Amino acid sequence: MCCNDNIQERNAGERDQSALDLNDISGMRFFDPHIHMTARTTDDYQAMVDAGIIAIIEPAFWLGQPRTGVDSFKDYYSSLIGWERFRSSQFGIKHYCTIGLNSREANNEALAEQVMELLPQFIFKEGVVGIGEIGFDDQTAAEEKYFRLQLELAKEAGLPVQIHTPHRDKKKGTQRSMDIAIEHGLSPYSVIVDHNNEETVKEVLDRGFWAAFTIYPFTKMGNERMVEVVKQYGSERIMINSAADWGISDPLAVPKTAALMKKSGIALPDIELVSFRNAITAFGQSGQINENDFITVKNIDQSQKFESNSILRGGQQPRIDKNSIIIK
Amino acid sequence: MVDIEKKKKLDKLFQHIIQQNLSSDAWAWLADKAERIKTEEKTLQLNLSFARLPRMSGKSNLIVQPEDLAKIAALLPGFSLQGWTVDRLARVWLLMQLPDVDKMVYLKKIKNLFTAAEMNELVALYSALPFLQYTEEWVSHCEEGIRSNIGTVLEAIMYHNPYPAHALSAAAWNQMVLKAFFTEKDVDQITGLKERANQALTQTLKDYVEERLAAHRTVHPKIYELLELGK
Repeated sequence: MCCNDNIQERNAGERDQSALDLNDISGMRFFDPHIHMTARTTDDYQAMVDAGIIAIIEPAFWLGQPRTGVDSFKDYYSSLIGWERFRSSQFGIKHYCTIGLNSREANNEALAEQVMELLPQFIFKEGVVGIGEIGFDDQTAAEEKYFRLQLELAKEAGLPVQIHTPHRDKKKGTQRSMDIAIEHGLSPYSVIVDHNNEETVKEVLDRGFWAAFTIYPFTKMGNERMVEVVKQYGSERIMINSAADWGISDPLAVPKTAALMKKSGIALPDIELVSFRNAITAFGQSGQINENDFITVKNIDQSQKFESNSILRGGQQPRIDKNSIIIK
Repeated sequence: MVDIEKKKKLDKLFQHIIQQNLSSDAWAWLADKAERIKTEEKTLQLNLSFARLPRMSGKSNLIVQPEDLAKIAALLPGFSLQGWTVDRLARVWLLMQLPDVDKMVYLKKIKNLFTAAEMNELVALYSALPFLQYTEEWVSHCEEGIRSNIGTVLEAIMYHNPYPAHALSAAAWNQMVLKAFFTEKDVDQITGLKERANQALTQTLKDYVEERLAAHRTVHPKIYELLELGK
């Protein structure tokens, strides 16, 4: 999703030091419906929970480079519902995921065929809240083929769909994604169209789909622009996410944007919808989101272990002072 | 995509340049490996030497005489060794030594290198595309390379490489050009940029310009030049 895009822009921008003040958003709860935690550190989990993020969705994606065999997919999907979910729970964050064959790797047809056989094993696992992220990248014939096959799978399974819209040729790619979803008989209300911008949002909303916005530095949306979008289009069927991954991204994008919205005078109920409630409503159609779990996951049991492996090992302080040069 | 006679001449030229840039020991090692690769049935020598090559050759920038550059440009227009390192050319040359009579074996050997390649190996593999046999067999690899997020890998495909313009479909070509703009590459170094301008690309670039403007971002001046060409 990332890397070496717009390097000049990245370096040219002056450093704006308006830091996030957690007091501005204290008491608010956030749901980040698109974040790739396997690419993030425990420090990120810590900062996220401090900023009020209580639940997340990790869409299945690629690894920054193409996989060469089906077992890599299997292990990855397993890790999303296994180790990563456990890791998240140790910080008190409820972890969900979507499972799918991403658009980039759909282009390796021989492998894609094998992955399609693997998917039915995973889509009904606990906490899988949709098929995703799927859709177009280069908008090739192979991408279209596996997008359609997975839409059929989603329809049969009764699961929401999380659509990745392309970076390049976005407007056409977004329109085409929606056309195809409709053609396959999916209800727009079960489809979350991700990575919108000013050019795509109107049509997505007009056609009854959910419009997700990724607040990602330099390449996608900035959050000042996001504030303007909410001012113009309101909060119905709009949600924000970070899509944080191994690129220069920000796992606090949702709370930061909420803080900025508050400063900009957007009403609290609207902020709650776009940064929390709408994601639950949309992905909750899977039947897999129980809000009570947001609280039970908070009761962090330090002795809990996943396959005898624990992050918070016995006796270790769960909090460390990052400013100290002493590491105990 | 290069006929046999020209390929032979390029092989000779590359060998000459490599020899000029390597110590005699390193060249002896490489020449020996090339002989083994020509005769081995399996892939042991190929895989070992392809990976090990920079340890023997070093990675300094190639020094090429102007007359050699001119000869190369005449033999393969759009191709250039500009900015290459010695290990990159040596790897490409090594791949040119692979026997290609048995198509299945030849493809299998090279495709296997792709699956386990690190960054500099990928650079060499994509740089070698114009010199590989069975041109059409490498299209999907080239497309996969364009999906890469690794800058040097993208540049190996985009810069002074005549393979994409020669072999890619319009859709894949357009993706490459778009990606070049998205990743702020020097599009002047793309072989075939003007020749392969087309309407679909023009339309997509127009949408891209609108998207950039809507986001209050700057637009690369080169895009407007391409828009003119595509009219």
